[in-house]
Amino acid sequence: MSLTKYMWAAFGLALALIAQPKAGYAQDCTTKIGAVLPTSVDWGRPIAETAQFAVDQVNAAGGVNGCQIEMVLRDTQVDPKVGVDAAKALVDLEGVNLLLGAVSSGVSMPILTSVTVPGGVMQMSCCSSSTAFTKLSEEGKTNGLWFRTFATTGVQSAVAAKVASDQGFKSIAVLYKNDDWGQDMARLIAADFAAVGVEVTASVAINDGQPSYRGEVTEALASQPEALYLALYPAEGTAAVREWISLGGSQKMIMANSLKSDEFRDNVGLQYLGSALGTDTASPRTESADAFRAAYVERFESEPNGPGLANSYDAAMISLLAMQAAGEGATGAEMAAAVPKVTDPNGTPITADTEGFAQARDILAGGGTVSYQGATGDVRFDANGDVSAPAVVWSFNEGGTQEVEYLSLAEVDAFIGSLK
Amino acid sequence: MIGVLSYLVFFATTASILAIAVLGLNLQWGNTGLFNGGVVAFFGAGAYGTLILGGPPQEGMVGGFALTYPMALLGGMAVAGVMAWIVGLLTLRLRHDYLAIATFGVAVAFENLMRNAEWLAGGAKGVRGFERPFREAIGDGFLYNLVFFVAVLLILIATYVFLERLVASPFGRLLRAIREDEEAAQSLGKSPSRVRLTAFVTGSVIMGLAGGLYGTFYAFVSPQDVLPTLTFQVWAMLIVGGAGNNRGAVFGAFLIWGAWTISGWALSRFAPVEAQLYTGSVQFILIGAVIVGMLVWRPQGLLPERLIVSQQGSNPVNKRGE
Repeated sequence: MSLTKYMWAAFGLALALIAQPKAGYAQDCTTKIGAVLPTSVDWGRPIAETAQFAVDQVNAAGGVNGCQIEMVLRDTQVDPKVGVDAAKALVDLEGVNLLLGAVSSGVSMPILTSVTVPGGVMQMSCCSSSTAFTKLSEEGKTNGLWFRTFATTGVQSAVAAKVASDQGFKSIAVLYKNDDWGQDMARLIAADFAAVGVEVTASVAINDGQPSYRGEVTEALASQPEALYLALYPAEGTAAVREWISLGGSQKMIMANSLKSDEFRDNVGLQYLGSALGTDTASPRTESADAFRAAYVERFESEPNGPGLANSYDAAMISLLAMQAAGEGATGAEMAAAVPKVTDPNGTPITADTEGFAQARDILAGGGTVSYQGATGDVRFDANGDVSAPAVVWSFNEGGTQEVEYLSLAEVDAFIGSLK
Repeated sequence: MIGVLSYLVFFATTASILAIAVLGLNLQWGNTGLFNGGVVAFFGAGAYGTLILGGPPQEGMVGGFALTYPMALLGGMAVAGVMAWIVGLLTLRLRHDYLAIATFGVAVAFENLMRNAEWLAGGAKGVRGFERPFREAIGDGFLYNLVFFVAVLLILIATYVFLERLVASPFGRLLRAIREDEEAAQSLGKSPSRVRLTAFVTGSVIMGLAGGLYGTFYAFVSPQDVLPTLTFQVWAMLIVGGAGNNRGAVFGAFLIWGAWTISGWALSRFAPVEAQLYTGSVQFILIGAVIVGMLVWRPQGLLPERLIVSQQGSNPVNKRGE
């Protein structure tokens, strides 16, 4: 039967492909890092591009420990099976000790439990927000290998509660995206609103891709809230807010950072968003954040306005700084242990660009520590690999968004403390 | 080289788990002609069932029964079986595309239930499983994956042997008779509805077994694992491998999952840097093209069903198999 022969031939070919060494790259020495990101999804591609941008800057500064960095990028297709397989291939076949990704918590989690923790690989995600990671880490099951630059939903929800209380709202309805992030957000925001004395009249889940949200919006409207809180993404946010306003809902709105998009502003109409306030964790105050924005605009010819871009940049940059700090040939665990050295609040501040990386390398070589001033502010991880961050309150204007209020890290921490 | 070996073991484990699910579908579609468009619901029921029954208690959730592993896995299969029995009673009088739509609806409903039922399944956050069984004895490294793979492979072989014997038995002939001409079977005193239900539940329990192993392997399951993509993948494996042929089902699972992963790997390795960002989309095109090509040029699959005339009478009805 010739078919069997074909099977063996195909199998042999596959083996040969796997075993074949990478054909001659001109670089003297290359260190590979892995990235598993949903590049087949429209919003996933810019996240990957931004990570590659950070890698390019580091390479321009001479690379890490004298070696150029090659980021091997694999697509997750937002499918856990595909993501886990890609991560395993990166760890086993490409030999990476550092993995960036994934975006969805439902993909990051099985990668963490079945690939990176058993394999001793450091994993840093730009965007996974589930509180399940914090819990896993508290139980000591991440071995300290897990980090994320996406501030936990706690910061956003606390700042939203502060906005509601500052604005003097008495009651509010919540519309949230029906995924892990949205459900976490809805749970936290209910507690935080209650803590500042704002009544939550309704909390309604919004599923993706529905042609109309009239039923959901009517339910929220029927509870007669004074204001509306939105934990939604631009596509379904636009649809829901249009229905909300056309049915006579209040224009007093508080939005999560996911709605900080030109698409949402244009499709809803700026005239309806005059009293809408947004929250975000990015800090536009530090020089390095400005440098990031300027560099991003120069490189991609657009503002870094999509979700997760600044976080993706910081994830890549901090990981590479930690790799530098851990020294040549470091294991994933050693890199993870070196993260505090590059995010030390008492260290020398460095900017998030090529010069910043070069400067950090010299300081680290001299045994010092640095304080990375990133695109999302002066990032600092807690014991569970979570970040707290400074926050801003923003609103829409003709050019995009403008800052209304800035809350430093200390102010955010103090306010979160006062809620408990 | 240990890296390559380690990856191959990991790959083969996933492929074997998927192969078990494809075998379950083959019993339903290949042998009985039941168009199950909701494979992922029964796979998911097995995965969720196993993890909820075997997992440690978690805050704000029922479950955490912490049963011993074999009990949890059997429990997961039972959950899938019970669900299939209920769904089967309601829908099995439907034929072909109607049954496909009904079962597809069940799968979507199942995903939405899991996404929303935080008290039961952790909602969109998913269920974190238990420590992988025997991990303490074997450790966490390559050896563990190897042992797990061997276990999965043995289960795959057992399922294969079970189905081969089932299909060769008089019951197997009955399944094919119902597939080919239900009224003829009925006229011989058989009860097609009961037989169809039996085949549907058995196939679903096998899918539940695959789901349970999948949940165990990743120690985690979330609504993202039970999206319709999986149904599509399992069907693609069966169609390419050859419906009605158990060997084809297993071969198709390895082939399609291999194509899925190797194309991603090869593109990431050999595509030029500028094209890297588009490899995800290119991969979809490649895999879609392979499936379309199969359907156009070899619709019976790579290993087509072997029709056996079990009793050679003086006037054989069907000579196609020779």
